Amino acid sequence: MPNSFRLALVGAGLITQQSHLPAALASPLAEVAAIVDPVVERARQLARAYGIAPRIASRVEEVLDTVDGAVIATPNDSHSALAITCLSAGVSTLIEKPLASSFGQGAAIVEAADKAAKVVAVGYATRFRASVRLLKQLLDDGYFGTVHRFVHQFGTAGGWAPMSGYNLDRAMAGGGVLVVTGTHFLDRMLHFWGYPDDVSLEDDSMGGPEANCTARFVYAHSGHAFEGIARYSKTVQLPAGMVIETDAGYVVLADDDDAEIVFRPRATPGIEQVIRARTAADYNPDVPVFQRQLDDFIAACCGNQAPEVDGRQGLESLRLIEQLYASRRGVDVDPYALIGERSAH
Amino acid sequence: MKRVAVIGASGFVGSTLVERLRAGPDEVVPYIHSSGNAWRLARHAIDLRPLNLLEPAQVEAALTGVTHVVNCSRGGDEVMLSGLRNLLTASRKQRVERFIHLGSVAVYGDPPSPESVHESAPTLPAPGSYGSVKLQQDRMVAQAAAEGLSAVTLCPPNISGPYSSYLTGLVDALRQRAFALMDDGSAPCSLVDVANLCVAIELALVRGPRDGSRLFITDGEVADWRSVVEHLTPLAQSNGPVATITREALADMRDGPGKQPISLMKSFKHLVSSDVRQALRKDPLWERVDGIFRRGVARMGKSVEGALRLAIEGPLANGATASKPALNARLCRQQLRGVGHSCEAARAALGYQPLYTFDESMRAFAAWYRSHHAMDSDAWPLLRQLYSS
Repeated sequence: MPNSFRLALVGAGLITQQSHLPAALASPLAEVAAIVDPVVERARQLARAYGIAPRIASRVEEVLDTVDGAVIATPNDSHSALAITCLSAGVSTLIEKPLASSFGQGAAIVEAADKAAKVVAVGYATRFRASVRLLKQLLDDGYFGTVHRFVHQFGTAGGWAPMSGYNLDRAMAGGGVLVVTGTHFLDRMLHFWGYPDDVSLEDDSMGGPEANCTARFVYAHSGHAFEGIARYSKTVQLPAGMVIETDAGYVVLADDDDAEIVFRPRATPGIEQVIRARTAADYNPDVPVFQRQLDDFIAACCGNQAPEVDGRQGLESLRLIEQLYASRRGVDVDPYALIGERSAH
Repeated sequence: MKRVAVIGASGFVGSTLVERLRAGPDEVVPYIHSSGNAWRLARHAIDLRPLNLLEPAQVEAALTGVTHVVNCSRGGDEVMLSGLRNLLTASRKQRVERFIHLGSVAVYGDPPSPESVHESAPTLPAPGSYGSVKLQQDRMVAQAAAEGLSAVTLCPPNISGPYSSYLTGLVDALRQRAFALMDDGSAPCSLVDVANLCVAIELALVRGPRDGSRLFITDGEVADWRSVVEHLTPLAQSNGPVATITREALADMRDGPGKQPISLMKSFKHLVSSDVRQALRKDPLWERVDGIFRRGVARMGKSVEGALRLAIEGPLANGATASKPALNARLCRQQLRGVGHSCEAARAALGYQPLYTFDESMRAFAAWYRSHHAMDSDAWPLLRQLYSS
């Protein structure tokens, strides 16, 4: 392995432009060796915009002999074929979330990685937030007492518009807002509490990708039962974050890279505590989460340690998403119908 | 059967119109600018077509076979003007039978003149304002109509009803205590429910003026601001009464902090502030200079260092001295408009009858808001913790 980790960025779309390429350029470990995109001019423009001269290619096969790892940031339904091509050629992959657009495709990626003895990491960047790492530790330690229930919500009135427009194609994305927005929290939830014992989903799909959904989870395996609700919207701006109710109070964590954990004790209403780690973090807090994620991937490739979010964890997220969709119930309420008799005047 | 192209279909009015038109006999062709805002329609598995209004050839191709065009597009000045020009040119080339343009009462200025109860009032938008761009649009539509395109301009005031970002903004402002009622809230608040507006558009597809002239589309009754706030306050869940403000104070209120006079002392303080020094320290030369400066100050002793810090940075922030929340000037000042636009001309020309009253419209908005924020669900006691963060 050379001193600098030679990276191919596969897909020159919005997430590569805004997050993966800046992370790679900022990382002391990485060298952007190639940018791959079926629209070659888009890849060239991206390289020009950042003043770099990597290899430009329309197909990933053209660059595999000159790179050590690949970041795959393409429409979800293309992850599987691209990742298997990379892994089969001995190139480890960091795949933008979700791992694939179906459990079957995700399983094929994990199998290819096992066969090639290469790394697959999944781009659940929010796992690298300082607050998420601290919260996991505190929940494991029982710092806030016994968990009774939790909620999470994230809603925007539109927003993120990938160049391919794949986000509005249910087949390409593998679902609707649950996949596009909700998958980040589902990954964190699995990280905190493991796989739930029961799930259900309500959404407003009328044949296309759902724009609003509410998922419910039941945990019964950890000695005591508790429930959770996760709500996602692509039509309404919602205050984004998680609230955990415990016997000691409410734990509030806004959904933001720099947010801090706030604890509102039941015993002292009107008082809230900001919870911070006193000990030094095992990473530089000034480094953005996408760079921490990339550095973690490179460390995994170089040191034979597992990445923070490996392929099997990505696969569990896909299993959960498919189980939720299998349980789905359609809900589409006309708000005008709720006001009773209409009156033309 | 009509083939209706809805331009700007992913917007608030466009989405509502497409959902309504799909339930009827006509074919609807929704055009969107980008996929980001199109989720409301995408969930119906509708074929949404991307369209760049700034590409004349693309616009012309998009209108092939289209009989009726409804322009709900918004955007920057270039899209609003060059985009509309392309759309009007293509509509004439493709022999479109009817062109419905969404205008705005903003063409009458802010505040508008009292005569703008009716469409015939003089148009007086401030130069460079949104209203002035909308007025240029109106003139382009009228010109295209003079050249043979059957067109009408429908002018809504602020648009209410489910999905209304205007009302959502008011709820947010009430929650943040950033809204104050002028006097007793008796000033008129001109609104139109989005469904009422869509009814007017549907009527205008087949009847009404052909010369591009304007018609006001409202709820047909003029509500006052107190009624609006009374409908929205329960959604904001804020404690205490809504603040009040006098007409004079509101008239004096600026949109921003205003222009500050030049002060050498203030400029020096900015230059040596910790924020600026922190940025400069990224350069190795400035890092050394800053180090020398700080060591020099440290040698003068703690009391001198403290006095210098106080002079430059000011006192440390203290939660106990938190100031009152700032009012949202843009929203508050709308109470100065003082005009209830009349839809009598639309009633006469289109046979327009609002489908929903003001009260019904506000209740529909409240039902939609409560449902989307899960306010009546078992999750609300936890979710509301996020609203008070």
